[in-house]
Amino acid sequence: MQVTTMTFSVEPCNQDTVIVRIGKALDFRNAAEFKSTCQTQVRSGARNFILDFSETGILDSTGLGSIFSLYRQVSPLEGQVVFASVSRPVQVVVQLTRTYKVFRQFPSVDAAKDALV
Amino acid sequence: MESVKYRFLNLNTVIDEVHSLFEQWPSNEHDPRISPDSVQRTKLALHEWIANLVQHASFECSHPEIMLDVETVEDAIVCVVEDNSQGFDLDAHLVMAAEDLAHLPERGMGLLMLQACATDLFYGRISDGRNRLKFSVKGEDDPCLTIPF
Repeated sequence: MQVTTMTFSVEPCNQDTVIVRIGKALDFRNAAEFKSTCQTQVRSGARNFILDFSETGILDSTGLGSIFSLYRQVSPLEGQVVFASVSRPVQVVVQLTRTYKVFRQFPSVDAAKDALV
Repeated sequence: MESVKYRFLNLNTVIDEVHSLFEQWPSNEHDPRISPDSVQRTKLALHEWIANLVQHASFECSHPEIMLDVETVEDAIVCVVEDNSQGFDLDAHLVMAAEDLAHLPERGMGLLMLQACATDLFYGRISDGRNRLKFSVKGEDDPCLTIPF
């Protein structure tokens, strides 16, 4: 079943892993919605999050902060947050902040699923 | 990238308008000295600055007006952003933001990202009472914002 929100869609892989399609932007305008979407998934039992950035043209500091927030939530639960299909604008932020040290990256969502599921 | 001057009057749409401008300019089709990553870092730096204006600037009685001028100079992209807000002490803010940066921070990274991307960063009041931000983004840089992980 696919759950569609205004900006993000969430696709469950199994009981504790979900794919979040980020869409065109994750920034100060929709970061609160991202957090709310992810919190709902955590409450439902999700621990591992695959963030699909294939369509993403904007990731800003507030968007990155909301991903850090998710990471802080799932880390104590032995969960993971990983990046998949990272677009160039997102890669620039990852490189600038060296967050590849925190979030594993995969070339595709399928590759991330193979690693996590 | 060609030189571009633009005027924005709507804080609700300015972010999308700026990104649309960049989508119209292929990265180094006209000037191979400008790397695609330089263009992306420029876009990020401008996004963070304008996001800060949209979220935090006080325009009080005046109608918001943001002017953007982007041009390439040798291997650098040079940006000038002028606005008619009340302005603030950017240098003091950057010092404080760097000192206060939390472990895996949710907030406070935006202007530090701008600072990390930019060289020759200047911000101040200009003669007509407006504020001017000027910075360059150079192709060979590999900037880094150190975040506590």
